Amino acid sequence: MGARLDLFSAASAEGAWTVGEVTKRARAVIEAGLPPLWVRGEIAGFKAWRSGHWYFSLRDQSAQLRCVMFAKQNFMLPAPSDGMQVFVFARPSLYEEKGEFQLTVMELLSTDQGGLWKLAFEKAKAALTRDGLLDPARKRRLPPFPRRIAVVTSPDGAALRDIQAVIGRRWPIAELIIVPAQVQGAKAEGSVCSALNRISRLPVDVLVVARGGGSIEDLWAFNTERVARAVAAMPMPVISAIGHETDVTLCDLVADLRAATPSAAAEAATPDRVEVLQQCGVLGQRLARALRIASRHVVERLDRTGDRLVRSMDTRLEKSGALLTAHSARLDALSPLRVLGRGYAVARDENGKILKRVAQLPAGKEFRLRVTDGEVNGRVQ
Amino acid sequence: MAEFSKQLERLEAIVRRLESEDLDLDEALKLFEEGIERLRVAREQLSQAELKVKKVLEIESPS
Repeated sequence: MGARLDLFSAASAEGAWTVGEVTKRARAVIEAGLPPLWVRGEIAGFKAWRSGHWYFSLRDQSAQLRCVMFAKQNFMLPAPSDGMQVFVFARPSLYEEKGEFQLTVMELLSTDQGGLWKLAFEKAKAALTRDGLLDPARKRRLPPFPRRIAVVTSPDGAALRDIQAVIGRRWPIAELIIVPAQVQGAKAEGSVCSALNRISRLPVDVLVVARGGGSIEDLWAFNTERVARAVAAMPMPVISAIGHETDVTLCDLVADLRAATPSAAAEAATPDRVEVLQQCGVLGQRLARALRIASRHVVERLDRTGDRLVRSMDTRLEKSGALLTAHSARLDALSPLRVLGRGYAVARDENGKILKRVAQLPAGKEFRLRVTDGEVNGRVQ
Repeated sequence: MAEFSKQLERLEAIVRRLESEDLDLDEALKLFEEGIERLRVAREQLSQAELKVKKVLEIESPS
């Protein structure tokens, strides 16, 4: 300090630092002196790049810090918005290309209303509600005897083993179609959506979407609006069993039925073979009984028909009887005896021949006269 | 093989019809025979022991 500074010699190519050297040195100093730490502040100027990297500032009343959160750190995180109060766990560093002091964020937590997850969940849920996708009236009935059951789940998880075991025990009549998907990690959202898309074109009666328990981050794919909308758009009823009973995901909410566990989902999807066999037994008994009753009906009807036949014969006989009486009355009226009864008489000769004309009755002719109560002899004068 | 639910539905319809209607003996017998046949097929389907499992690979690149 005591020596006079020789500005010109210091400014020589040998004496001066390059820009790169300074930033490199500064970066080393910062990284050595400031280990990764938690910082709290308010988000400002948030921007998500197409690359997936996030850029924003953290600020308080007096200062602000540039922050970057790379895609590989934020991939499952819902994006925060400006004004949000957050905690970040970050590595202070220097971005040499711009000579900017910045934080490389590794974790980001919101303190607002239960955190980022909760906020993102509520936002997506509101959008689904607005479109009517959470309307209970949308819930479809499950088919009672499914032929094809599809499952979207991890190919090597306990969920699949449980589902397969339950369906194999209860309803082996069905065909189980497994469509494996990544159920956690960066690719889960796309993987689940493409599995759903695949199934939507298959002749499937009911679909089970399942995933075992996990942290909210693990289940996040099932909380995305994209997966929820894909589930809602499935042409067949969907049973959702995501996480534990306490975690309700958006996928659960839009599904036609929510099951607490993958096993419960498999049970809901299938009837129990033993019960259906009993049901068949009952139907068989009813069938036999119904036939007995039906044949009894027929016999009774035959009896009734016989009775009717006899009755109709009787009626006809009665009618004939009446007719006979009427005819005989008329015959009776025409009887000559009845005519004589009215005061007429019949004259006959000794041979019984009826004498109807004057010429047959010359003077002195004898005849017999028949009146109503007997005969008398007579002679023409 | 006919769909199980159709089989059972038809069987139930037959039983109901046989129970409720005044049928000719001929028709009743015909229904009864069909019912017995459907019952036999349904039982046969139910006795199938092995679950058929098919794995469908997902389309790799998620759009």
